[in-house]
Amino acid sequence: MGFREHSARVRRILGIVLAVLLLGGVAVVLVTGGEKDQGTATKTVRGVIGSEKSEFFSDPDVVKALSAKGLTVSTETSGSWDMEQLPLQGYDFAFPSSKGPADELRAKAPDKAAAAPLRPFYSPLVVVAHSNAARVLAGNGLATLGARGTSGILKMDAYLDAVRADRGWRQLKGADKHTELSGTLFITSTDPMASNSGALYLAAASYVADGGRVADGKEAVTRTAPLLRKLTQVQGAQQTSSDAPFRDFVSGVGNPLVLVYESQVAAQLLAGRPMGDLVVLYPDTTVNSDHTLVPLTEGGKELGRLLAEDPELRRLAVRHGFRPQGAAPEFTEATNPYGQYLNQTLTGVRQAPVPTGAVLRDMARRARDQGGTA
Amino acid sequence: MRPRTLPRLLAGLALTLLLTATAGSCGTIDNSAGGTGEQFDKSDTSPAGPGTLRVLASSELADMAPVLEDAREATGVTVRTTYAGTLDAVEQIASGRAEKEYDAVWLSSNDYLRLRPDTAGRISNETPVMTSPVALGVRPEAVARLGWDPEKVTWSQLHQAVAAGRLTYGMTDPKRSNSGFSALVSVASGLSGAQSALSDGDVAKATPKLREFFTGQKLTSGSSGWLATAYGRRTDVDALVNYESVLLSTSGPLTVIRPSDGVVTADYPLTLLTAAPAAAKESAQRLTTYLRTPEAQRRITETTLRRPVVAGVDPAPRLDRGLRRELPFPGSRSVADGLLDAYDNTLRRPSRTVYVLDTSGSMRGERLTRLKAAIAELTADFRDREEVTLMPFGSAVKDAEVRTYTVDPADPAKARDAIRADAGRLSASGGTAIYSSLSEAYRALGSAPRDTFTSIVLMTDGENTDGMKAAGFDAFFRELPAEQRHTPVFPVLFGDSDRSELDHIAELTGGKLFDATKGSLEGAFEEIRGYQ
Repeated sequence: MGFREHSARVRRILGIVLAVLLLGGVAVVLVTGGEKDQGTATKTVRGVIGSEKSEFFSDPDVVKALSAKGLTVSTETSGSWDMEQLPLQGYDFAFPSSKGPADELRAKAPDKAAAAPLRPFYSPLVVVAHSNAARVLAGNGLATLGARGTSGILKMDAYLDAVRADRGWRQLKGADKHTELSGTLFITSTDPMASNSGALYLAAASYVADGGRVADGKEAVTRTAPLLRKLTQVQGAQQTSSDAPFRDFVSGVGNPLVLVYESQVAAQLLAGRPMGDLVVLYPDTTVNSDHTLVPLTEGGKELGRLLAEDPELRRLAVRHGFRPQGAAPEFTEATNPYGQYLNQTLTGVRQAPVPTGAVLRDMARRARDQGGTA
Repeated sequence: MRPRTLPRLLAGLALTLLLTATAGSCGTIDNSAGGTGEQFDKSDTSPAGPGTLRVLASSELADMAPVLEDAREATGVTVRTTYAGTLDAVEQIASGRAEKEYDAVWLSSNDYLRLRPDTAGRISNETPVMTSPVALGVRPEAVARLGWDPEKVTWSQLHQAVAAGRLTYGMTDPKRSNSGFSALVSVASGLSGAQSALSDGDVAKATPKLREFFTGQKLTSGSSGWLATAYGRRTDVDALVNYESVLLSTSGPLTVIRPSDGVVTADYPLTLLTAAPAAAKESAQRLTTYLRTPEAQRRITETTLRRPVVAGVDPAPRLDRGLRRELPFPGSRSVADGLLDAYDNTLRRPSRTVYVLDTSGSMRGERLTRLKAAIAELTADFRDREEVTLMPFGSAVKDAEVRTYTVDPADPAKARDAIRADAGRLSASGGTAIYSSLSEAYRALGSAPRDTFTSIVLMTDGENTDGMKAAGFDAFFRELPAEQRHTPVFPVLFGDSDRSELDHIAELTGGKLFDATKGSLEGAFEEIRGYQ
């Protein structure tokens, strides 16, 4: 396949991906909730949100708590990194899963002062592992495990070195005892061009690989592009939402290492679901998914304030596994019974800053690119 | 009787009772309408009423009927399902046809769908509901004969057993069915030793071994339902390749082998079409929320033998809990399509096909024009190395017009052009000698065994008027050597042909009836390709 044809195709795919997200954003799920019989008149606010928050907004208790404060919230989902492409007239707020797009949305807003973003809750990216895989990683210096063996730290430097060297599971001692641990060692993530968690994974990896620097442009992207391409290409087909690989993991199929949001795991634990042989590995350098609300109207601003401050809504955010902003005794208290899985204080976990949307998109494009000639 | 064979009026009624109707037929696993959606009654896809979700689904999902009935009771959402093969569904989504008729698609996997940029804008939320790996179901006596521990069998061992002539199997057509495609990806990964996602280089490297592996494929099919039926007729085929859930539901004992060096797993994402109306999207959300409850997940694994995706719900006891490596699905369309192309034109055993074509007097005019156009369109689908015979008949086979061509990989256009030219010269005359002509086709194929997928397509627009009678053909067929009785006839219902007559032929020879009276003749011919 010639270079020209190839890059034209990539451009076309990009165009289409953008179109999807735009269309998706305009069309998707209305979650106004069922209960409309509250006595008080409520104000309806419309917003566009990252898909991982749709369960929160459709939770009947959340609908009720908002209604008690006089708000009915109607949401549509969109990829976080594509919200800035949406026409935002008619919306009261946008609620992406990262600070980067929130900053860009604010820059676009007619009244920038009013659009000061709020971060009601956040969730770090973690790696879920089956216990066999986690123990082999620990036995080979790629991870450390806590006393119970159900949570630990993934050493990103060591992991990226293994990826650079195309390390296979069978080159790690102890792996040969486990049938499923063969083939190249890699973490399953989502398509970074379509999904926030996949893009944030690249952000964390590039930060580590580039000696603790946040990519700030083409040169920086070029420095880490070969490694990021490798992280992506070994995976083959990637899903477009972190729900799918997490469900495969729960089902006992799929890759033994899967990148998810901590909130996905915490929500399961808080619902009292037994987690089998799950081990939660916190990368020593990770990225937070900062669920950042950009108010576009007074109604949007009020919603942001309620989500950040209202005790009931903060408690409900915890139910869905999110960490409320600031000192969050709600999260600590609720997750105390699951301390063997969750690193409540994020001890030993460093947050990598996230590049701007434009840089991150460039990174994703270069990583997904099949030809390697662009 | 399966719903699609009921008269049109009853079909409409059956739709309103769809869940019950499919429950009644799910003993045969698959009630696929197969390739061309046009063959379905259009009342199927009329705009949905409130609380109804119109879903284009993989054929094996017919076994979800009892779960969807529970879902209807719990959520008020009625699922109206139309079944299709993966490739057909992908084409329908890409062309925009799906969104005119359905609110959601529910395929075994969206992996292939995602490689098609022309489908990207048309799908939105995807919710995986359950999983099932593609595996081999082997007759227990074959497992014993090969001395295998089912837990430890690798793709290399499977290849060696086939190469040594000790293992034969049936598999669906990878171009039409996700189970076939997943098997192709698995075996290509396994035999190339690829450590991560397949590349073109891996496929090239594994080609000699893959060719050997596919000499053992004795049955091909456009749908998993027919594959199971065809397998049931054969005692000389040792194994079936299919989803674990389908293998465990197949009548007759099969030992399920999930190769220890890796599998490809389907995760059945219920996927909204972007164009679906808001009410349908809301229904879909209610449905998926329900399907993810522990209660529904338990019912799913018990009823369908697929694996649950919700923590705390254990897989049904018959499902082995040992973990397997997941073989990555190709991440680029060029690798996926390259693999499919290699399968069709290089790896699989070639096809050998006789088209027995009614060109009696009643075909004169529009019908003959349609036949010529359908054959002309079909020629593009003939595979490299395929042997194609056109056998037109009226009161008897029109011997002077019978010709056989083989598609030469070095110049595939030559045979295709010649077949197209021959089709253009067909003319209508005489009566309708269905049975004599079929027996001629069997004679032409001869009794000397050849290493091909051999089949006969019968297209007729009327009832038998000349030559051999039905009973005579039955006797003729039963007298054939066993090897020749493996050659199925795929009759195409067209014009005024007699459904019961053609059904009987399909039944007798182990074929399958295709209906071109409601859809197009091209559509029926195209769908039959999956079985050749």
